[in-house]
Amino acid sequence: ALAAREKKKEEEEEMNYFPDEVIEHVFDFVTSHKDRNAISLVCKSWFKIERYSRQRVFIGNCYAVNPVRLLRRFPCLKSLTLKGKPHFADFNLVPHEWGGFVQPWIEALARSRVGLEELRLKRMVVTDESLELLSRSFSSFKSLVLVSCEGFTTDGLASIAANCRHLRDLDLQENEIDDHRGQWLSCFPDTCTTLVTLNFACLEGETNLVALERLVARSPNLKSLKLNRAVPLDALARLMACAPQIVDLGVGSYENDPDSESYLKLEAAIKKCTSLRSLSGFLEAAPHCLSAFHPICHNLTSLNLSYAAEINGSHLIKLIQHCKKLQRLWILDSIGDKGLVVVASTCKELQELRVFPSDLLGVGNTAVTEEGLVAISAGCPKLHSILYFCQQMTNAALITVAKNCPNFVRFRLCILEPNKPDHLTSQPLDEGFGAIVQACKNLRRLSLSGLLTDQIFLYIGMFATELEMLSIAFAGDTDKGMLYVLNGCKKMRKLEIRDSPFGDTALLADVNKYETMRSLWMSSCEVTLGGCKRLAQKAPWLNVEIIDENDNNRMEQNGHEESQKVDKLYLYRTVVGTRTDAPPFVSIL
Amino acid sequence: MAKEGLGLEITELRLGLPGDNNGERLVCGSKKTKRVFSDMMTSSSLDTDGENSVVVSSVDIVAGEVADESSPVAKSQVVGWPPVCCYRRNKKNNKEASKAIGYVKVSMDGVPYLRKVDLGSSQGYNHLATVLENLFGCLGLGVALKEGEKFEYVIIYEDKDGDWMLVGDVPWQMFKESCKRLRIVKRSDATGFGLQRNSSFE
Repeated sequence: ALAAREKKKEEEEEMNYFPDEVIEHVFDFVTSHKDRNAISLVCKSWFKIERYSRQRVFIGNCYAVNPVRLLRRFPCLKSLTLKGKPHFADFNLVPHEWGGFVQPWIEALARSRVGLEELRLKRMVVTDESLELLSRSFSSFKSLVLVSCEGFTTDGLASIAANCRHLRDLDLQENEIDDHRGQWLSCFPDTCTTLVTLNFACLEGETNLVALERLVARSPNLKSLKLNRAVPLDALARLMACAPQIVDLGVGSYENDPDSESYLKLEAAIKKCTSLRSLSGFLEAAPHCLSAFHPICHNLTSLNLSYAAEINGSHLIKLIQHCKKLQRLWILDSIGDKGLVVVASTCKELQELRVFPSDLLGVGNTAVTEEGLVAISAGCPKLHSILYFCQQMTNAALITVAKNCPNFVRFRLCILEPNKPDHLTSQPLDEGFGAIVQACKNLRRLSLSGLLTDQIFLYIGMFATELEMLSIAFAGDTDKGMLYVLNGCKKMRKLEIRDSPFGDTALLADVNKYETMRSLWMSSCEVTLGGCKRLAQKAPWLNVEIIDENDNNRMEQNGHEESQKVDKLYLYRTVVGTRTDAPPFVSIL
Repeated sequence: MAKEGLGLEITELRLGLPGDNNGERLVCGSKKTKRVFSDMMTSSSLDTDGENSVVVSSVDIVAGEVADESSPVAKSQVVGWPPVCCYRRNKKNNKEASKAIGYVKVSMDGVPYLRKVDLGSSQGYNHLATVLENLFGCLGLGVALKEGEKFEYVIIYEDKDGDWMLVGDVPWQMFKESCKRLRIVKRSDATGFGLQRNSSFE
């Protein structure tokens, strides 16, 4: 036995042909989280070297782990990314008080005196208190990125502005921020000259334009500036004149038609912005102003007009015709199929397209159909990501799209009317989506819609070998559907299902599968409380959450709870057990 | 939760015309139950977050729309569908709300408190004048609108650009859309300006 141990130790030492410092240096070139996780599993000494050298940590579910364990393993961390609520929270399926609080993380990081420089949060609850603590605790703090977060006000932003002396990025994307219409912009001290990114497009209130202009003027490194509604056209012209080096611009509002002098000033300022590559905003836009941007369109690689509801199709098309280098386009369906044909013939470099619905309720005349999608697939050979809201679809169109574009990595199709079949044949869309998963061997993310039977899930299980995230709504017939997916998709990480007839049989078939996944969401399906309880018993390393807003205590009172359907189920693997911050309407089994 | 036709036939809500394939589609299929929209309607009505779930439980509203082909009614009734994130939805709703013409403040020189008038339901300059007269108990405001030179007061409004403009110069609809607030000021405070009314829009 001693000889065996000695041999093992020798073998381990042999893994290290080089001193630790050399290995560490090699590891510096390994940057992706997946790769770093992989090398840390090779052997004990690599695990040790890797954890001390890891600077950027990504935590996809903030309840899978806790701050103590994070800091224990990665004491030298500089950048932390945290995600809180499940994806369906974006569609109001998760109550606001569900959880995802960043406060305990910031408290723990502050206590540990780790040299935090960057914090990126998505779907988390952030308070002014958290922001204040953050701003005071890390002297090297440089970068704050908040995406789809809530719970804070402009007072919290004021703390960040005032206290983070080396702030480089303040990037607020699609957050719900209570705008106290205060003077947070004036809280940046005159000595603050390091800003590279300033994005406050999601703020609703007025902006201190004077403070903003001064800030932009003293930020020579500013590359990304995204303004909110309250910044009018003439102020925009002045800002652009102060920052001709800008690469990424978010325009606020064009409330009224500018007088010719303002327009000329804007035109002149725009022409000087030769580094401009990305344009967004136009939250309220007078269409004629778009033409001021035509001179720089040939340089644009990214264009987001998805909030510009006032700009009609023809003005959009006029702009896009100049954008030959476009790689990313986010637009409203008011562009119409005809507009998409123009995109297809103009934007040969297009990689990512998102077409959002302009009318959430009715049937708009200018909405897009399968024709637009086919045109894009035929014209844009580099397309790999698509999000497409449309009125109707056919199997034939999807089969054509699959032939034209076998390179899809992300394919999200949303036919606005649930359960809608192929509008020509009245058949389910199994064959169409099936063609997509069969042709696109690199498909990692898929969202389904329209009328679908168990057949599509058979196809997904068979062909979608790289699939990591699948969103299902109003689809399938029996538990077999869900089983095909769970058994077939070896790389599945996030599965989210709503309003589909999958129940306990599918849920319980392979409990160990959930250890290989980040999370599973099932709402308005057929799973029962009894089934969930059995799952929780079999898998103590899972948090099985039942979210029931309607009656907090219903589960205890009702004698027939075993067969009671569960409204919302959210389960996820975790190494730290049941969370302690769950609200009363969440039961963790 | 039986699903065969129950949800579709007995409720006035439909996904399409009677006998339409769409309607039957949900009926046929496997033995397992499938949630139908009527079920979702019932459960949605318990949803207290009314902001983004447009729950239509009243048959009256639906009745008028049943005639539509592939009814769009269904789309608006399911929580979280279509899957547009709430930030985007709110931005859209806010835009629409702010576009809706509603109440604007009215102040009058010498009066310590302000009033509000509903421009949205007001029918024209004359009607507005009557409303203002009633609010401020000040007869003759109608006269002020018509024959500016003779009356003690002048009615002005603040437009979207923040400029103060004389009421009555532009067509009523244009005025309605650009008026942010109203003021009734004493003529004597606005001397020196030609206040000849533009009478083309009477």
